[in-house]
Amino acid sequence: MRKYLARRAVYAVVTLLGVSLSIFVILRVLPGDPLVAILGVEGHARMTKEDRVRIMADLGLSAPLPVQYARWLRDIGAGQLGKSFFRGDTVAELIAHRGPITAEIAVLALIVSWIVGLPVGILSAFKPNSMPDGVARTLSVLFIAIPGFWLGMLIVLALLFWFGWKSPIIIVHVWQDPWQNLQIVMGPGIVLGLAQGAYIARMSRSCLLEVISEDFVRTARAKGLREGLVVMRHALPNALLPVITISGVLLGFVLGGSVAVETAFGVPGLGRSLVTAVIERDIIVVQNLVLLYAVIFVVVNVLVDLSYAWLDPRIRYS
Amino acid sequence: MAVRAAEPPVTAVPDAGPRGSVLGELVRFSRRNMLAAIGGLVGVLTIVVALAAPLLAPYDPLKADFRHMNKPPNAQHVLGTDQVGRDTLSRVIYGARTSLFVAFSAVILGTTVGSLWGVACGYLRGRFDLVSQRIMEILQAFPDLILAMAISMAIGTGLQAVIFAIAITRIPFGGRVIRSVALSIREMPYVEAGRASGGSALRIMVFHVLPQCIAPYLVLATTHLGVAIVIEAALGFLGVGVPPPTPTWGNMLADSITALVPPWWLAFFPGLAITLTVLAFNLLGDGIRDTLDPRLSPAFLRMMAGGRRR
Repeated sequence: MRKYLARRAVYAVVTLLGVSLSIFVILRVLPGDPLVAILGVEGHARMTKEDRVRIMADLGLSAPLPVQYARWLRDIGAGQLGKSFFRGDTVAELIAHRGPITAEIAVLALIVSWIVGLPVGILSAFKPNSMPDGVARTLSVLFIAIPGFWLGMLIVLALLFWFGWKSPIIIVHVWQDPWQNLQIVMGPGIVLGLAQGAYIARMSRSCLLEVISEDFVRTARAKGLREGLVVMRHALPNALLPVITISGVLLGFVLGGSVAVETAFGVPGLGRSLVTAVIERDIIVVQNLVLLYAVIFVVVNVLVDLSYAWLDPRIRYS
Repeated sequence: MAVRAAEPPVTAVPDAGPRGSVLGELVRFSRRNMLAAIGGLVGVLTIVVALAAPLLAPYDPLKADFRHMNKPPNAQHVLGTDQVGRDTLSRVIYGARTSLFVAFSAVILGTTVGSLWGVACGYLRGRFDLVSQRIMEILQAFPDLILAMAISMAIGTGLQAVIFAIAITRIPFGGRVIRSVALSIREMPYVEAGRASGGSALRIMVFHVLPQCIAPYLVLATTHLGVAIVIEAALGFLGVGVPPPTPTWGNMLADSITALVPPWWLAFFPGLAITLTVLAFNLLGDGIRDTLDPRLSPAFLRMMAGGRRR
């Protein structure tokens, strides 16, 4: 297990180095002068040459690229993530302030997806091709197709139209006012959770059906075990492994999707900051936030792999 | 390797049309796979609507009409008008053009590059494969939408930038799935025969391995069309996609929420178009997968889920 863990950790670090390098390269191929991108052509023309040089140096953009990259890595190591060009607040502050909202949305989405998806999947697999199975499959196909941000928009509109209710648009943390906080994260969490739940239902159904046709399930049945017990005790634990894995992959959907869904709900999370930064071409903020998203995604998937190895010894020792 | 699926053991449906004819195959496919056929039909309809947009759209999608601003659906404007009086139906129809063009181009570009890369990885193996796998792992470490956002920001918003950005996010999927197919084909006796008779690696890849990858390629491309449409819509919605005034389903949704109280028809119809189209392509993709290679499906799903490990 320890060897497996070490190997996974090394892979993850290599991947993350590659990730940071690719973000850096992607954002530095920005055609033209980054100052023009930031200030616009007119603003750029209005500045004196000295100002330009000073600001470029201030942003750390005038050094040679390898030096910039090395500095960036060093700063990350030191916990300094630079600051927004427009707002003056540091990226670290931004993450500390808005990160918890997005994290709550992701966790809520995960909980909703399992609470909704797993029972539906089990129910479907119990009686495949029955009426409830048909309904469940139709719904899951539907929820996979509906874009979360559109569903979010419609929900916001409907609540506004019929109840005159709008979720708070200020940042309220859970430790400040749990009820207000829940109102903020509830919408995006549920919308993202339902879409993921659809995948979970699909996946758990197909895995369960596959496991049910295996010999050890037949043996359990032959012993005269009740069908419910056969499924819950014997089949389910074996079917769950791929479902756990897909849940890790789905986190990517949640992280990406939350960017759009937060905008639809008007929730001031980290995703909104990223969108704003992309539109304003605030390179430093984009660079660090994109890296943060990728780091979270990679780390969670490593954890998923580890849990998989912990649950299934065949992987550990292979 | 049977590329075409064997007939199901119980065929209650009598064969319609002569065997082997395209029409006959289509009819057989739809009998066996109702939902996929409907999906295919809707998909084709959407494409036709997109192509025939100038003929079908009742109004100019870009022309503002200040006498009919913010009108709910009515007899003249079946789906209503927006804040500057542009006809929603015409914009949804023209939006299909841009949205589908972006999605198709991106998927074809991304999946093809990924698949060719995957064939090379699977056949050549060794160090090339190892390095390529790390690169794909890096690409997959980004959530799709976020990578697409960063790339389209870097190369400037515009039609080509959006296509390119979405295409890059599709590459690793092609690479992984097709690689595993190529890995298994490489061990086939006929490939070994090709090697034994002195065929070069390139020749074997092109003439012996590649043709066997067409079925999974089609499945992959169809499945990813829906994803590409959603990413395009999300980029448009966030204001980093194809810039206005060109209507796309995504930027129409973005337009609608600029109002303090967005009119429901502006928020509803473009999203409905997205949902129906994505649904159609997803159903079609599932159907093609089941038909072309029934054995592919659980393994395929698992690969999408846990392919990272191998």
